[in-house]
Amino acid sequence: MTPVRSDRCRELLVRVSRYVDGDLGGVERRALTAHLRRCPCCSSMAESLKHTVCLCRDASATRLPPAVRARAKARVEALLASESKTGNRARPSKRPSR
Amino acid sequence: MTKSGNASLIDGAAGHGRETDYEALLVAAQTGNQQAMERLLMRAQEVAYRFSLLVCGHADDADDAMQEALLKTYRFAGQIKEPAAFRTWLYRTVKNACLIGRRKRVHEPAHMVSLDELMVAPDGSVQRMDVEDGGLRPDDIVVNSRLRRTLRRALQQLPPEFRVIVFLREIEGLSTREVATVVGISEANVKTRLHRARLLLRQQLEAR
Repeated sequence: MTPVRSDRCRELLVRVSRYVDGDLGGVERRALTAHLRRCPCCSSMAESLKHTVCLCRDASATRLPPAVRARAKARVEALLASESKTGNRARPSKRPSR
Repeated sequence: MTKSGNASLIDGAAGHGRETDYEALLVAAQTGNQQAMERLLMRAQEVAYRFSLLVCGHADDADDAMQEALLKTYRFAGQIKEPAAFRTWLYRTVKNACLIGRRKRVHEPAHMVSLDELMVAPDGSVQRMDVEDGGLRPDDIVVNSRLRRTLRRALQQLPPEFRVIVFLREIEGLSTREVATVVGISEANVKTRLHRARLLLRQQLEAR
């Protein structure tokens, strides 16, 4: 295990997330990119963070398990069927905030 | 939006989560498109399920949260004047439903750590986060079928204040501004928490 060592690395570490998000301005991005080129420790950290972010984003493709999906679909069908029988949409007790 | 575009949204073929998807579905549902309403109601429940599982860590509460999201979406969908605001409204509604469910529980997982405990030292100073580089990328360790289970476990190790940010920003794909609106904090605070959360999550994933 190699800890992030220098104060400079620590200082730049806080910008790595913004770098991963493409959220850094030109000057900051160039400074960080230059540092990453010559610092294997920070470069490895940046790559690792990118992969962590990618893993999370891959998880967004998660679908409902079949049984849960079936229950959700049944709830939708029951709700719409009951509303069409009465001919009324449910009325809110208050408006949404937006 | 083209006709074919609407059709793919309604069929659910366009994936979930994009702001424009929700907006198009909501507009279609508001004009009486039954398929769009059904799809919107399914989306609301999907969000509630994922939130229950990944943020609250209680799959048992998912059905209650899904029911709440379903009813509120159905009741309010016709009244939302700004379709672009629907997604943040939905996530806020789901968050509140899940948190209410969690408060009903008599205990919380022992691993939950408060944000203050994590960030502030006993002398009141703000702690620096030491991050170690194990030299392994998370996807060297986490592969295919284990991914979601491992990620879920790693998420559960995060403080809840961080977990909700990761969920909304990384998994659900909300913008920083949307996350700030849903959680009720500044955009700068979202960025700070997201960065710290990513570092912690990375450590959790590498440790597995």
